[in-house]
Amino acid sequence: MPLVVGALLQFFAMSSTTFAALLPDRLPWYIAGPALGLLVVGFFVMANQPLGATGAYVETYKTVTRKADAVSWRMFYFLGIPIGGFIGVALKEDGFVRRSGYDALRNELSLGTTAIIVLIGAVVMGYGARMAGGCTSGHGICGTAQRSPASWVATCTFMAAAVVTTLFIRIVSGGAI
Amino acid sequence: MKKSPLAFKIVGLLFGAGFGFVLAAANLHEYDTIHKMLRLEEIDVFLLMGGAIGVSLPLLWWLESRKTTTALAGTLVLSRSKPQRHHVVGGALFGIGWAVSGTCPAPALVMLVSGAGLASITIVGLFLGLNLRDAQVRRSVGTTTAGDGEHRSVANAR
Repeated sequence: MPLVVGALLQFFAMSSTTFAALLPDRLPWYIAGPALGLLVVGFFVMANQPLGATGAYVETYKTVTRKADAVSWRMFYFLGIPIGGFIGVALKEDGFVRRSGYDALRNELSLGTTAIIVLIGAVVMGYGARMAGGCTSGHGICGTAQRSPASWVATCTFMAAAVVTTLFIRIVSGGAI
Repeated sequence: MKKSPLAFKIVGLLFGAGFGFVLAAANLHEYDTIHKMLRLEEIDVFLLMGGAIGVSLPLLWWLESRKTTTALAGTLVLSRSKPQRHHVVGGALFGIGWAVSGTCPAPALVMLVSGAGLASITIVGLFLGLNLRDAQVRRSVGTTTAGDGEHRSVANAR
């Protein structure tokens, strides 16, 4: 046990770690896109469910707080995402890089300001996702693939809003962000 | 809280892991990838989404027309709702938040395990925002329903 804890501490103390450079730095869209499409179809064929993340967040919260109407298997789906992501990152040459993230923001703003901006953005994003009934994966891929008019409208709206907001930020920051 | 069957938990875990793996492999967990996409400097993510829809839409259409029986939850059912005001308002809010926080719900989880500490703030914010909306709807309507992009209740899938 102490050996395991020691190895974990050593792992997290390293600024950059990889296990095996089996994956390219970035899998091309023409492989990743169809692969994601097949996962969407596979999840429907197995469980009759869309591969969206918003519902998984909601049900994970309910499961953890033991709400009566919680759907507990969705917490397993929620946990699977970082586990798969962990494996994917571990198989890249760059591997894990301990950092704050949000490079473009951090180049211009302090850590505290960046954290506050990111928090506000995430709250608005979460609120909007629940109101719209899906996020990028839920509406943007699974809903559109189901030929749902609501999902196509939501997807076009959030894409347009995100591009316009990014343009606004770019103008306000003088092109820096 | 009702307990889900083990098979559902295993399938959920495996497909969640597959999803996370593809997100990491395609670098969708990196703020720079999404930022460049939304600045319209790179079209790779748009093409990736198009590729995913291009594969899944015709396959699901075909499977639906054949009334395919799923492995764990009866006949395949696809959701198709009419657009309403909340899809537009919610979509606009989601888009604004997405542009500011530079990542969306699933990639934020991968971003965190890739070593980016600020992703923890994003995840906390997402939980806050989702629950804020849920609480608001529960107060006014009494219950919440799943959208076409969200997991929904099917006969034996609890």
